[in-house]
Amino acid sequence: MSQDLKTSSVAIEGLNDSAFKVRLKRNLEIIQNVLENPTTVIGLIIVILMLLMALLAPIITEPNMPDPYQMPRDWKAARSAPLTPGHVLGTTNRGGDVYYGVVWGARTSLKLSLIVVCLTVVVGVTIGSIAGIVGGKVDEILMRVVDVFLSIPELIFALAIAAILGPSFTNIILALVVVFWVKYARIMRAQVIRIKQREYVDAARVMGDSKMQIYLKDILPNSFSPVMVQATLDMGNIVLVGATLSFIGLSEAGIAEWGVLVSEGQAGISAGRWWASTFPGLMVFLWALAFNLVGDGLRDVLDPRTETKR
Amino acid sequence: MSPDTAYTSDSLSENLIASVTDLKVYFQSKQGMVHSVDGVSFDIVDGEMMGLVGETGCGKSVTARSFMQLIQTPPGVLAGGKILFKSQKNCNKCNGSRCVACSKTGKNILDLLSLSESQIRELRGERIAMIFQDPGKALNPGLTIRTQLAEVFQEHRENDVFKKAGITNNLDGINGYLLKKYIRQELNLITKLMLKFPPFSGFRKKVDKAIDGLVTEALAETQIPNPNKIMERYPHELSGGMKQRVMIAQAIACNPDLLIADEPTTALDVTVQARVLDLIKDLQKRHQTSVLYISHDLSLVRRICDRVAVMYAGKIVETGDAEIIFNNPKHPYTQGLIKALPSMTHERGKLEAIEGMVPELINPKSGCRFASRCKQKKSNCENNDPELKVLSNKDKSHKVSCFLYE
Repeated sequence: MSQDLKTSSVAIEGLNDSAFKVRLKRNLEIIQNVLENPTTVIGLIIVILMLLMALLAPIITEPNMPDPYQMPRDWKAARSAPLTPGHVLGTTNRGGDVYYGVVWGARTSLKLSLIVVCLTVVVGVTIGSIAGIVGGKVDEILMRVVDVFLSIPELIFALAIAAILGPSFTNIILALVVVFWVKYARIMRAQVIRIKQREYVDAARVMGDSKMQIYLKDILPNSFSPVMVQATLDMGNIVLVGATLSFIGLSEAGIAEWGVLVSEGQAGISAGRWWASTFPGLMVFLWALAFNLVGDGLRDVLDPRTETKR
Repeated sequence: MSPDTAYTSDSLSENLIASVTDLKVYFQSKQGMVHSVDGVSFDIVDGEMMGLVGETGCGKSVTARSFMQLIQTPPGVLAGGKILFKSQKNCNKCNGSRCVACSKTGKNILDLLSLSESQIRELRGERIAMIFQDPGKALNPGLTIRTQLAEVFQEHRENDVFKKAGITNNLDGINGYLLKKYIRQELNLITKLMLKFPPFSGFRKKVDKAIDGLVTEALAETQIPNPNKIMERYPHELSGGMKQRVMIAQAIACNPDLLIADEPTTALDVTVQARVLDLIKDLQKRHQTSVLYISHDLSLVRRICDRVAVMYAGKIVETGDAEIIFNNPKHPYTQGLIKALPSMTHERGKLEAIEGMVPELINPKSGCRFASRCKQKKSNCENNDPELKVLSNKDKSHKVSCFLYE
C-alpha cells in the first residue's frame, strides 16, 4: 500500500520534470528500496569487497608467474603460522601462501560462478522458453527431463559427473552447468506460461507483432526477474558446490582455489595448524552468505508478491 | 504464398465493411463441447458504430476475438461460418509495400477466418485494431508509453516516419537500408555500430525525432494533457482513464478501417467512462472508422451506437437500428432487458428482472435458447430453432429470431 502511494506521489510531483529526471528518480527509488533492508546492505558490502579482492588480486598480491592461478610454493617457509613476515595468513604444510590462496581463490570463484551462471541461465532460459511457448508434447518431454535432473541431489549429481569427466577445473564447470540449468528451465517455463496469457500479449498480437517480437519485447523482459534472483542466489551456491568438489580432489591439484586450500590444510588441523583451512573455509562461507543475502533482498524488491515488512 | 489465395469469391454489398455469417465457435471441455458462439450473423456498415450487446458469457468477446484469430485452437474449435471483410477502402495509405490487400486483384473481400497467420498479421493493427477491456492489463508494464506507441509506427508507418523526418530522397543505398532496418528493429551488432557514428547517426536522430513527433500527435489526439511528459512514463504511473487513452491512441494510430472495442469502459469509473466514450465517438466520426462496440451496458450502447445486435447464449436474438430496437423491441429478451433499465425521465415503478438462469451451453439441445425464461413461450419454442428473420418489408435491417413473429 505504502508503495502505491509513493509511486503515485512521484507521478504527480514529477509532472513538470524532464524525462531524464523522471528516470533518475525512478532508478534511485529502486536502489533506495534495496538499501532499506539492512541484511541486504551487509550482503552487498561483502559482495563488493569480494569482487574488489578478485579484481585487484594482481595488485594486492604478487602474481605467481607464469600461471597466477597456481599456488606459489615456498618449501622453506612451509607450516609457518599467521603473521610471519611475507606470509600474513601463514602457509600450508606444502609451503603454499594462504593469503595468496585466499585472494586468488576469490578470482577463481568469481570466474567459476560467472561462467557457470551465464551458461546455465542461457541454457535454462532457452529450454524453459521453448517448453512454455510451444507447450503440448514438447513441454511434457522437456519437463520430464527436468524432473529427472531435479530428482538427483545437487551435490551428488555434480560429484558423479565431475568424477566421470576426470579431475580438472573445466570439468567442474561442466558438471555444475549440467546440474544447475534445470532450475532456470523450471522458473522460465512457469513465467512464460504466466506472461503469455496476459492481455498485453494479445494486444501486441493485435498490433501485428510477430511471435519473435512478442517473445523479445513482452514475454522475456517481463518474466526475467525471478531468473535474476535465482542467478544471484546461485552465484553463492555454485562456489559452495564447486569448493566441495575441489575439496574432494576433483579439480587440478595445486591451483589457488578455496576448496583445494581447505583440503590441503585439513591434515594440519589436528596438529594445531588451524589457519590453512580456516581462512579459505571462511571465505567460502562469506561468499555464499553474501550472495544469498543479496538474492533475498532482490527478491523482496523485484517480486511484488512478497510483502515487504516495514 | 500468393496473397490471392486469401480472397474469397463471396461478395459484400457496397455499404458494408464486414459481415459475419453463421459464425460458430465451440470450446472443448471435459463435460463436452461448449457452444459459445452458435450461428451468429450480423453486418457492420461502413463508417458506422455497431453495438454488440449481451450478458456475461453470451459469446460477445469470443465473436470479437474471432475477427483477429485470437481464439486459441485447441481448446477452441472453429465449427463454421465466415467473417467477410472489405480490406481496403482506399489504398493510398499503405503504399503497397507490406500489405496483402493492396497487391493486385480486383477483389478485396477477405475471409478473416481462413487467412493464414502471416496474412492476418498484416491486417492486425493496420486495417483492424482492437481496444481491450482492462487497460491496466493490456499495456506491457516494462516499457514506457513512448516505446509501446512507437512500435505501431515502426511496424506499420515506415513511410510516414521518413516523410516526417524529411528524408525522402536519401533512401536508396546503404543509408536507406540501415534506416529501414533501424525502424523495423532488425539490427545486428555491426549495423547498430554503424548507426552510432556519422554520417548515419544524424539520420538516425532525425528518425527518432520523427517517431517522437508521431507519438506525441497520436497521444494529443486522445486529449491526453502533456503528451510529451506522458510519453516517458510507465503504465503503472498512469491512471486507468489515461491508460485507456493510450490504448486508444495505439489502436487508431494506423487509422484502421475497423476498430473492435471489447468493453473498453468497463474497468473505468463512470465519469471517466463518459469522457472515453465521447472520445471514441468523436474519433470514429472524424476518421470515418467503422467500430464494433462490445458491451453489456445497454444504455451506453444506445448513447453511441448506430446499430445494435443483441446476443443471448451464443446467438443473435435481435438486430437493427439502435433507436428502433430501444423504442420498439420485438424479442422477449430485448423487451426484458429494456424493462430492466432504470429510467430518469418517467416514473415506471419497480424495475423488472428476467426470471431464471442462462441455459447451459455444453452440448445444448435444439430449440430457442430463451424458451426456459420466456413469458410468451409457445408450444414449438422448446423444440425448434427460430431463425433470424426480417420483420417487415419496410425496415429490412430490423431482424428478430422469435416464433412470435412468424
